Amino acid sequence: MSALRLLSLERKIPSVRSAVVPKTEGKTVEWPSPLAQQTARIAHLLRRATFGAGPDELEAALKLGYGRVVDQLVETPPGEPPAVPGNSADIGALQQWWVDHMLATPTPFAERMTLFWHGHFTSDYRKVGTGQPYLYWQNLTWRKMALSNLASLLMQVTIDPGMMRYLDLATSTGKSPNENYSRELLELFTMGAGSFGEGDVRAAASALAGWRLPVAADNSRVGIFEQRRAYSGGPLTFLGKTGRLDLKSVIDGILASDATATFLVTKVVHHFVSPAPQASYIRRLADEFRTGKYDFKTLMRSVFLSPEFINSQSYRSLIKSPIEYMISALKALKAPQLSGLVLEAGEQMGQMVFDPPDVAGWPNNDAWISSSTVMARINFAVSALSQLRNLPPAGDLARLQLDGVLSPVTTRLLDQAGDDRTRWTIVLMAPEFNLK
Amino acid sequence: MSKDQVGINELKRRDFLRAGLVFGAASSALAAGYAAVPDAFARAVYAAKQGGVKNDNVLVMIQLAGGNDHLRTVIPLQDPKLHDLRPVLAAQSVPMALPLNSSFGLNQNMPGIKSLWDQGKLAVVEGVGYPNPSFSHFESIRVWETGDPTRRQVEGWLGKTITKNYDSQGHPLTGCACGTTNVPGALRDLHATVSVINSSRTFGLQGGTRTETTAGALWKGTPGIYGALFDTAISTVQETIASVRTAMRSQSSVRYSDNAKLVYPSKTELGAALQLAASLITSGSGVKLLHVTLGGFDTHQTELNRHNDLMGYLDQSVAAFYHDLDIHGFADKVLIATWSEFSRRPQENASGGTDHGAASVVLLMGNPVKGGFYGQTPSLSDLDGTGNLKYTVDFRAIYQEILNNHLGADAREILGQSFDRVPFLKRPSV
Repeated sequence: MSALRLLSLERKIPSVRSAVVPKTEGKTVEWPSPLAQQTARIAHLLRRATFGAGPDELEAALKLGYGRVVDQLVETPPGEPPAVPGNSADIGALQQWWVDHMLATPTPFAERMTLFWHGHFTSDYRKVGTGQPYLYWQNLTWRKMALSNLASLLMQVTIDPGMMRYLDLATSTGKSPNENYSRELLELFTMGAGSFGEGDVRAAASALAGWRLPVAADNSRVGIFEQRRAYSGGPLTFLGKTGRLDLKSVIDGILASDATATFLVTKVVHHFVSPAPQASYIRRLADEFRTGKYDFKTLMRSVFLSPEFINSQSYRSLIKSPIEYMISALKALKAPQLSGLVLEAGEQMGQMVFDPPDVAGWPNNDAWISSSTVMARINFAVSALSQLRNLPPAGDLARLQLDGVLSPVTTRLLDQAGDDRTRWTIVLMAPEFNLK
Repeated sequence: MSKDQVGINELKRRDFLRAGLVFGAASSALAAGYAAVPDAFARAVYAAKQGGVKNDNVLVMIQLAGGNDHLRTVIPLQDPKLHDLRPVLAAQSVPMALPLNSSFGLNQNMPGIKSLWDQGKLAVVEGVGYPNPSFSHFESIRVWETGDPTRRQVEGWLGKTITKNYDSQGHPLTGCACGTTNVPGALRDLHATVSVINSSRTFGLQGGTRTETTAGALWKGTPGIYGALFDTAISTVQETIASVRTAMRSQSSVRYSDNAKLVYPSKTELGAALQLAASLITSGSGVKLLHVTLGGFDTHQTELNRHNDLMGYLDQSVAAFYHDLDIHGFADKVLIATWSEFSRRPQENASGGTDHGAASVVLLMGNPVKGGFYGQTPSLSDLDGTGNLKYTVDFRAIYQEILNNHLGADAREILGQSFDRVPFLKRPSV
């Protein structure tokens, strides 16, 4: 794409006309990628790794440069959320608390990763119940371990009380194992369908039985192992190896399988890079992930520094999830006070935290789009704006929020817009703002 | 009016929409006085064989998501083996069941569906499954959605039905998912226009026509890989709003009679989704293939009460829905079918629940149905290597009967092969 078209970006000229997508008849037109430019590259990174950047954040990041921004994202420990106001087991209070923290946190990458793991190692409040603060604990754990490594996280996930209840490990016994957790551990959490057999599900179910939920006297936020409820039969065969099997050896077996790195890296790439990655890219990252002892920081750094992350096919190839769309809109509007709207509108768009559609978490990218969800996204923009008396200036919005890369219609409507309110409406409604 | 109706016969579906729009915009007084008119419009469209639409029958698929335990839905009353395999669950289910005959009874919470049985309007197909069953929710859901046990197809069987049998420009309500935010896999097809209406309460664009114009312009012709997806989504938004607006106008003139009090259960999303479905059907919006979902069937643990509750929700929702159709004179047209990715294992587990199983039961309900039992009940004494039942009826045989003899579509074209008939319909209605 000609650099000329993107000059406005570097020169900070609020003109949007220079980046108009050319009209061609009947062909799929690509977005012209501005990612050759440092500013756009950093904005792209912050859109995907955080909830987007305002002018101040973008300027600070520009001073650091791309590589050091990546370092900072990956290395900064997650900002601790404040205590949940009220009862931490109350689902409404808990949902509001997390949304508020996403809006306020100085470390939004930690929240994006926590959200990613929440969609991956998912649990919902309907099954977990709201009598105990299990989902609150789970959220704190996922955040704390979001950039740890797979072995530690899998140990923790297995004996997390919320998860133990969500996938029934809490009631599984060696005599009569419940297969729910062991199946999803293999199918959805680590190896993927087709890379293990029914016998492996049964063996792991036996090996993982015996954990119960903590009671107050245990003073514990993880499950408690009870030998008398555990499996006491003969050797088990799991992923080709026969012998004594327990939680640790189940996880070791999973980590020894090549399928695991491939499966997880593919999911990370679908969320952060591209809906249709090259097999060679996945292989490269998966090899690195495996040899790097499944360390998440190393993986995420490799992802953000890979050429595939910033090549022209990558530009606007992902659809913001509803949470990302709403949080990025409210951050752009500097309107954290509207966080209640996120809870109301999220359900209509198909995403509310602690309430995934099923055990596979949320689907992503094109699955976010239906006539119903597009309507809900548009309605969110209209409602949010109608609730704000004062809006931040919008003269430079197209450049700041949309890299100055606009479709002909968006350009025309913005050119015709007579006031800032109209400009905000157009930008927040526009497909450009729904992409990342 | 009659002139318009004649004209409509020759129109394509998209034109029908425009005609509908003109009608809708004409005046609300007109709509109030002529409840039959949109209905006639819809019928006229259905009659347009050239457009590929063969009749005005409607199909409602109810997904019981998570794997419905068929042994607690249609319960074997006489098999001692059931008590061996599930001492807890069987002891509580069998004595309470509502007998259909000497061998089987419905779950205790299903009096409404039992009443359909008594009227000869419930068909139970036993032993429904497919070769080499998957015990993964997501793989098995995909198998049922695509009608392909080899897991190669990506398009949904109902999506394909829309594409291959109804004109590809698509009346936006030909395929409609109610009570969800996403297009269910069964309706998905690259070339099918499918609408999704989560709830009638939130349906519509805030800010009215101004928003509609701006958003419509913004989302059309978008560059990039999602261009076509966005285009379809926003067109469907606009067309669905128009259709629903038109159809809903006629709805107001349809009165529920006082002695036919209609109560949808308020506790579940299924009740609301079916109520929405009923209003789309009875207002003559042209809706044809509907999909709704009741979740929560993955009962690995404490199944007894949870599953009883779910059966109750299903029963109350279906009963109210049937009643609604009946008092509006639409019951003859609508076939209701349940589906679930798999059933549960016959042997119960230590958590008072059951793990993923194989062969299942499909319920077909409504006036088009010839009541009775179909298929062959798999033996509880002859389980496969995973401790599961062996299927006797391929689920695609059910799709085949629905496609050929209810929808007037060509099942072979959609399923790629033929199956032994499972003749649960009263008469071929095409």
